[in-house]
Formats: sequence, C-alpha cells, structure tokens
Amino acid sequence: MTPATATRRRLWDRFRFARQGLSDRLPRLPSVAYLFISPFFVLFGLFLLFPILYTVYLSFFEYQGVSFDSLLWIDLGPILIDVPRVAELEFVGLGNYARILNDGLFWDAMYNTTYILAIQVPIMIGLALALALALNASFVRFKGVFRTAIALPVSANIVAYSTIFLLLFNEFGLINSLLVALGLEEIQWFRSAFWARNTIIAAVTWRWTGYNMIILLAGLQNIPQQLYEAAEIDGASRWQKFRYVTVPQLKPVLLFVVVLSTIGTFKLFAEPYVITGGGPSNATITIVQYIYKEAFDSWNLGYASALTVVFVTIVSAISIVQVRIGGED
Amino acid sequence: MREHRRKDAVWRFLTYAFILVMAVAMLVPLYWMLVAATLPQDEFLNLTPRFYPGTAFLENFASLQDRTDFVRSIWNSVFIAGVYTVLSVLLCSMAGFAFAKYEFRFKEPIFYLILGTLVLPIQLLVIPLFLMMAQIEWTDTFRAIILPWLANPIGIFLMRQNMKSIPDALLESARMDGATEFQIFYRIALPAMRSSLAALAIILFLFQWDLFLYPLVILESEANYTIPVALAGLEGTQRIYYDQIMVATTLAIVPLAILFLVLQKQFVSGILAGSLKE
Repeated sequence: MTPATATRRRLWDRFRFARQGLSDRLPRLPSVAYLFISPFFVLFGLFLLFPILYTVYLSFFEYQGVSFDSLLWIDLGPILIDVPRVAELEFVGLGNYARILNDGLFWDAMYNTTYILAIQVPIMIGLALALALALNASFVRFKGVFRTAIALPVSANIVAYSTIFLLLFNEFGLINSLLVALGLEEIQWFRSAFWARNTIIAAVTWRWTGYNMIILLAGLQNIPQQLYEAAEIDGASRWQKFRYVTVPQLKPVLLFVVVLSTIGTFKLFAEPYVITGGGPSNATITIVQYIYKEAFDSWNLGYASALTVVFVTIVSAISIVQVRIGGED
Repeated sequence: MREHRRKDAVWRFLTYAFILVMAVAMLVPLYWMLVAATLPQDEFLNLTPRFYPGTAFLENFASLQDRTDFVRSIWNSVFIAGVYTVLSVLLCSMAGFAFAKYEFRFKEPIFYLILGTLVLPIQLLVIPLFLMMAQIEWTDTFRAIILPWLANPIGIFLMRQNMKSIPDALLESARMDGATEFQIFYRIALPAMRSSLAALAIILFLFQWDLFLYPLVILESEANYTIPVALAGLEGTQRIYYDQIMVATTLAIVPLAILFLVLQKQFVSGILAGSLKE
C-alpha cells in the first residue's frame, strides 16, 4: 500500500464516520413526509422561487426577444431533451435601475398610488372599524342581515365591479343623473385628475370595506367581556371604554388589517385599468399598471423587471415600518 | 336619569342610521346593475334614472352572446377555478399534514421560506411566468393558468395550523392497526379537517376567480377567455353597449353573490382563515 492510498483510505474512513455520526444524531425521518411535501415543493420552486430570482436576474438585462437557441440539448437516440433558452438578453448592469431614477412616469405612478393609498386606506379602515363597532353593539338587531349586506361586495368579481363603477360614474351614469335631479351640476368624473382618483377610491372602498369589517368584527368578539364590565364598574364613559379597552385589545388585528390593505391598494391594477385606463393624462396610472404597460405593451421586459424589484422593495419596506410602529407601545 | 336615557336613544338612532346608510350604499350598485341588465339600451341611456326592472334581459343576453361567447367564458372560469381549487386543496393539505405531523430535515427553514413569500405581491411573477410559458409554448392554455398558483403559501400555512389540532394518539392507533401513512392522511386527517378544507377551498376559488392580470397576459384566443378577461374586452371599441356589459357583469357577480348568501358562514371563516391567524 502506497502512502498516498493509505491517506486516502484514512480520509475516506473519517468521512464515513462523520456521516454515520450525523445520521445517528438526526431523528428517524419517515420518508413518507417527503412524499407528502414534494409535489407542493416542486411547484413552489418552479413557479414561485424560480420566477422571483428570475425577475431579479432579468432586471439587469435588456430584453431583445425570444431566442430559439438551445440552452441544454441532449440526444439519447429516441429521446431528445431540448431546453430552449428562456430569452435573448443583453446585459446592461444597473442601467435599468439608473433609468428608473430619471423616469418621470414611474414617479408619477408612484405618486398616484401613494395618493390613493393615503386617502383610501384611512377612510376604509375608519368605516370598517365604525361598522364593526356598530354591529358589535348589544342593542343592534338583525346583525346577520346587516353584516351580509355590507359584506356582499366581497363576492363581486374585481373586473365586474370596476365595470359597474365605470358606468355609474359615466357621463350618463346614475351618479350624474342623481346630481342633475338634485339640481346640481354634472361632473365629468374621468376628465379631471381629482375626480378620477376619487372614483377609484370609492370603488376600492366599496369592495373591501365589508371584508375588513368581518376581520375587525372577529377581533372585537375576541375581547374578553370582563374587561368592559370592569371598566363599567370604574364608571368609564363610552369613549373611555373604546380608548382604553377596545383600542389596545384590537391593536394586533387592526395592524393586520392596515398592513393587508396597504399592500392591497399598492397592488391596484384592475380598477384603474378598467375604470379610468390610467387617465386623464396618466393621473391615475398605478405602479402595477405602469409595469404592465412597460412589459406587455412596450415589451421592455428587463426594465419592467427592474421596476418590479423596486416596487416590491418599497412595499415590503412600508409593511415592515408599519409593523414596527404598530408593534411598539 | 331621563337625560341619560335620551342620550342613549340618540346614540342608538345614530348607530342604526349609520349601519343602514352603509348597507344601502353597498347594495345600490348591485341593484342598479340588476335593473340595468333588464333595460333595453335606449332606455338605459335615458337621463332619468329608473329603479324598477324592465323585460329585456333575455334580448340583452342574446346580443351579448352574439358578440362574444360569454357562456363559454363562464364555463372557462368555472372549470379553471374548480380544477384549481380541488388540486390546490389536495396539495396544500398534503404538505400541511407533513409539516404538522412529521419531523424531517430543514422543516423549519423551509416553512419560513414559504411564509416569507406571502408578503410578495403576485404581480412580481407575471413577467417571468409569461416568459416561461412562452418558452414551453403553453401560452393560451388552461394549464398555464392553473399550475403556477397550485402551491399556495396561504394554503399550506392554514393547513399546517389546522392539522396540528389532530391528536397524535389518533394517528398512532391507526398505525398500530396497520394503516399506511397515506391511508391515515386520507381516512383520518382529511375528514377531520372538513370545515377548514371548505374554508380553504373558498379562498382558493375566489383567488382564481378574480385573477385578472395574469390571464390577461397569458390568454390570447377569445374562446379561452375567463370572465374578467372577457369583461375587460367588452368595453373599449368605439361604441359602448351598456345593455350587454350590464348583463355580463350580472352574470359575473350574481352566482357568486348567491353562493355567498348560502355559504355565508364558510365564506366568513374562509376570509378570516386567510387573515387572522398570522
């Protein structure tokens, strides 16, 4: 035995020993667990993890079109494995990101989205909270009926309800008819930036208020009744009970609803797409709508990917800030 | 005392008034849609609003069906959402069962990785998914719409939480009786989880039913359009056919609204399940 082989043998023994030790330390694994999770995980990796990484990758390139070159080509006689290249790309480094900084339309879209968000979310959460409180009051009858009526928009298809709002606020729509009937002026809802935005705010609020109300109502019902009784014994007023019992107890649920609504409104697409088409002169174009336009109208898939990365970063950052602020006392 | 009672009465009145106003505000657009769907086009364009139904629903429906095969779109949506829901519920509950009831390597990190993706807006995926589908020539197919969303992070999260409530002793005794692991899942876990499965099914169905941006990008031929894509295609040409649009929106909303009224409890628990248990 040469010294070299001996060394190799020793190393191999040590390696095997290490492996054995590792498997001894781990609990017995029912291999069936892998059978249960693998279909989920294959799809998860293929259609969620890979696309996320692929977006980041794409954001450093300029898309030139579909390529018919092969990325992988294996000829096994009867079986031919041919994986086409996903796209023809030209590397531009951080070019796409630099372009975002000077892209007026992106900042317009950012501004529009933030504007709608800043007005829509507080109004909606306020209404949902007020409704939840009202429907939680002991003296209110027909709670089920009211709750159902208010939550009914949850079942409305997003594009369908947007279409209804488009026609409601149209030139000859119901809203203008009512304004005229009341002796007021008609409003050209989609011709002014201000009214167009408010139409979208109204539509989104209509659809999601009941949804948030249900979540808040469940939160209210989880508050122990004894807390209110104790407050009552101490002679607390209605406002004091709300301020010192309801608000602190409801805080986690409220925070959840706020974060969820913020993300939801940030992702706005179908409503402006259907109702205003982003107009008048891009006054209601949202970020997702802009990304869609860049990607599938102009086919700037690389640039659109960079926009997506920036957008997701901003949304995540805002959610984290909200959780931080809401989390401390 | 009397002063107090009067204040109370005012408070009650205001509460009722608020609830009532909101309930009406929620119902008016839907009612108006129903009425408008039954009016002939020229009557709809009358500037005086009308609040009672007409008789032209079937005619409007016929002209809608003439212009675009809307029944086909409804069928597409029902088919896609139905198949998706069944497959996804199965997949998520299998994975959730494994996460709740077995030990395996990297269990925690994998689970947190899945949870982390919950924060990301799904729009992030549209561009890469489109490119992937274009490359394997799956654009304009239903499988391209169904497959990518099957592994739903909300679904696995929900199922893991719920499957934890199944007592281990029950599974153990089944094992003693010689049941295979798959039989345990199929015969014990799934039936015990019936109500959470229903809630999950509702969340997933609604998710797929409302999906708009992604099918808009993937679907090309009108015969494959889902309801949202078909609806968005209805307006836009030079003339707007209000009667047809109203019939189409009615057909898109009313079935789900009825389902909502019937399955209200499951609906609500479905919404809560997707949200509260963070």
